[in-house]
Amino acid sequence: MSDFVASPFGVTDTGDADPAGNGAPAPASLAPEPQDLSAGNVWQRLDDALVWVGDRLNPILVKETRQALKSRQFIVTFTLVLALAWVWSIFGVAVIGPSIYIAARGLDMFLGYYVILAVPLLVVVPFGAFRSLASEREDGTYELLSITTLRPRQIVSGKLGSAILQMLVYLSAVAPCLAFTYMLRGIDAPTILYVICCFFFGSLGASVLGLLVATLTNDKHWQIVLSVLFLFGLAMLLWFGLMMGFAVLAEMGPPFQDQMFWIVNAVIFTAYASYFALSFCAASAQLTFASDNRSTKLRMVMVGQQALLVGWFGWYMFQDDVEPDVLLVYFAIAAIHWSVMGMFINAEFGELSLRVKRQLPQSFLGRLFLTWFNPGPATGYMFVVANLLSVLVVAGGFLIYNSVFSKVGVRTPRSVLFAFGALTCSYIVVYLGVGRLLITLLRRVSHVSLVLAVLLQALLVLAGCGIPLSIHLMTPEIRRDYSLIEISNPFYSLVEVLDERGFGFEVNVLLTVVPVAAGFVFLLNLPGVVSAVNQVRIAQPKRVREEDAELEAQRAPPPGPTSPFDE
Amino acid sequence: MHPMIELRGLHRYFGRTRAVCDVNFSVERGQVFGYIGPNGAGKTTSMRILATLDQPTYGDALVDGFSVVNDPDRVRRRLGFMPDYFGTYSNVNVREYLDFYARAYGLRGSERTRALSYVMGFTKLDQLAEKPIDGLSKGMKQRLCLGRALIHDPGVLVLDEPAAGLDPRARIQLREMIRALAGHGKTVLVSSHILTELAEMCDLVGIIERGRLLAVGSVEEIQRGRQTRQATRMQVRLLDDATSLANWLAQRDGIEQIQTDGNSATFTHQADAEAEAALLRAMIEAGLRVVAFGSQTKTLEEVFMQVTEGHVQ
Repeated sequence: MSDFVASPFGVTDTGDADPAGNGAPAPASLAPEPQDLSAGNVWQRLDDALVWVGDRLNPILVKETRQALKSRQFIVTFTLVLALAWVWSIFGVAVIGPSIYIAARGLDMFLGYYVILAVPLLVVVPFGAFRSLASEREDGTYELLSITTLRPRQIVSGKLGSAILQMLVYLSAVAPCLAFTYMLRGIDAPTILYVICCFFFGSLGASVLGLLVATLTNDKHWQIVLSVLFLFGLAMLLWFGLMMGFAVLAEMGPPFQDQMFWIVNAVIFTAYASYFALSFCAASAQLTFASDNRSTKLRMVMVGQQALLVGWFGWYMFQDDVEPDVLLVYFAIAAIHWSVMGMFINAEFGELSLRVKRQLPQSFLGRLFLTWFNPGPATGYMFVVANLLSVLVVAGGFLIYNSVFSKVGVRTPRSVLFAFGALTCSYIVVYLGVGRLLITLLRRVSHVSLVLAVLLQALLVLAGCGIPLSIHLMTPEIRRDYSLIEISNPFYSLVEVLDERGFGFEVNVLLTVVPVAAGFVFLLNLPGVVSAVNQVRIAQPKRVREEDAELEAQRAPPPGPTSPFDE
Repeated sequence: MHPMIELRGLHRYFGRTRAVCDVNFSVERGQVFGYIGPNGAGKTTSMRILATLDQPTYGDALVDGFSVVNDPDRVRRRLGFMPDYFGTYSNVNVREYLDFYARAYGLRGSERTRALSYVMGFTKLDQLAEKPIDGLSKGMKQRLCLGRALIHDPGVLVLDEPAAGLDPRARIQLREMIRALAGHGKTVLVSSHILTELAEMCDLVGIIERGRLLAVGSVEEIQRGRQTRQATRMQVRLLDDATSLANWLAQRDGIEQIQTDGNSATFTHQADAEAEAALLRAMIEAGLRVVAFGSQTKTLEEVFMQVTEGHVQ
């Protein structure tokens, strides 16, 4: 690439704009010239510092902020929030009347502001984030954005940054009113802060979900359907937020003194953070180019989620006097999580691009432990199975510990609990395995998209549950009790295991057939797994190596004396 | 050295529709390549693949030696793309729009300020800096899009119908801009329906129809290439009346369709350049006072009409 000296712009810069000749923005030579800060006054230095900071801000954030400041939608919403806050302040004070001097009525006022703040934070901001990305794709501006050097995660974080900025603006509009409620007494500062934090994280979570939903399709019709569904979800969130807020605040406020309150909050927050990271990575993966690795980061986040699940439950289960029935919650969460994740992982495309093959693990240990993070349904299936096994191992460890040390009586026998867990995992292994084989076969004859592949697996589960249930209910002789005809129905069968609290004939059959079927399906999937494992790293193309070497040489420090004896 | 643009066996199918089929060509640094074809021929698809907005079904395209399939990130740093249609942001003026893309390409501080200033000057947008994009005319938007494609000083420019909808003056200015860019070492791939303009600004031309590249080469090569396969139309002008020349030509082999018009005569000659030289020598030896002798070269439009059949996919 020509540097600016040779460019048609007639630039007089003498630096070598792009020694690599790659058309990339010049690394160092075109950077701002070092300035003598001491020469300028304080304002000049402040200005320089602000320019420096501005240069490092996400470009999307800068653009969206500029747009928002001129947009009618933002001005109207902001003015409305401000006006409503003022109206409520005047109206509330008028209603309270002279008792405002003696009675603690801060909470009453706060509830009004809570409603005023809830609508923009839980509906307007997340829907704005969704529309911001969806409209880029609809209007054709996204294509030009996607071919810049911005990375997908920068695009997503820029949109999120813009949402955060809007939240802060709305919060700042209502902040004086919230301070006013504190001065009225009846609500303390930690409660106000806690509610603001809940709003902030609720809005942020809904915004990242909105961005993820916006990346799901380019089709205008589907975008409309998704818009309606997302808006409905936000309405539900608003309703839930208002109900929860009123219930907690009107009753007694958050129990800050209770240790369990903080533990529950920590659990919720870590779970929130992990799903936030998963949604963020998924949205970025949806925006990245087809040949790039879209899976590994997502699987790393999933491993983090698994660690959180095992960590929190492990910590809780190894406390004194814990009833082992808590394992049912543990199994249920693990089953829902890995079933959904497994369906998406199974829907991935199996062929590895040359770009991905350049990054495959190469060493023996790397291939042993990291192959399962490589993109593709085969490695993904093994990844899910390994995680399910770890769920069972932790549960088994807890049950042994509990049987030795616990003095608390058990409601459900430990063996039944373990059988329940093993059966749950076996069902997931069977359905995901059959689903993967089905998708592989279908993809040999036709194109099966990611969404369609997920839907097919959901249909498979529905068929596995619905067909035997229909036959069962239409057969008068057996309709009252559990029948082995329901063996493919995990929900009914698992409930039966818990109901019997022992090992009757049906349960024994279930515990024999389903794990054996899981093993069989697993074996059927093994050839695919083996071929995925046999993928080896390929060398980088010569041109890529050349450029990397040039960039490395640029980054290397200039040769200079390394000791006092050097010239 | 590798070419700046190289298409290797490029195929693109949309379902059963063949948009691009086995397209191969390369463009060296500083060359302007004109991509010609009827609507639906596969020009835009090929260009979108080059711009990393689409993926080939088979084959590959390379920009400065980097694959658009496997190294799109490296390609994007080197390539500026101007699509035939582009959406714009609301509530953004010209300067903010270009500033955003400069930031998006990683330009910072004075580097960005300089790039903005040069691009706005080059595309003559500096007087419209504060004007909202929504209020720009078609021609101004085209300039803005060209400015956006140039903002990171890419080595390769892919311009899809840049002159569409422009008035004659703007077209001439655009043509001059493209030549200036090529003069400064940029490699330009440009598609257009205005073939006379392409003939003037392009070093190389490729004609595509129904996804297949029918001809590729310099404008002269394509014109000559078409004529060597078929009869060449010759034109001769004499000092005297051309009737004597017509009588003389009628006695020679391989000469058909003789027409005279005052001092000039045109005829079809079924031979190559060697034979043309021999014919001229024979005319002079025969005492004919020849003032001008040459083949009637076909325009790019004529070649295009001859090569393509007007099929649309």
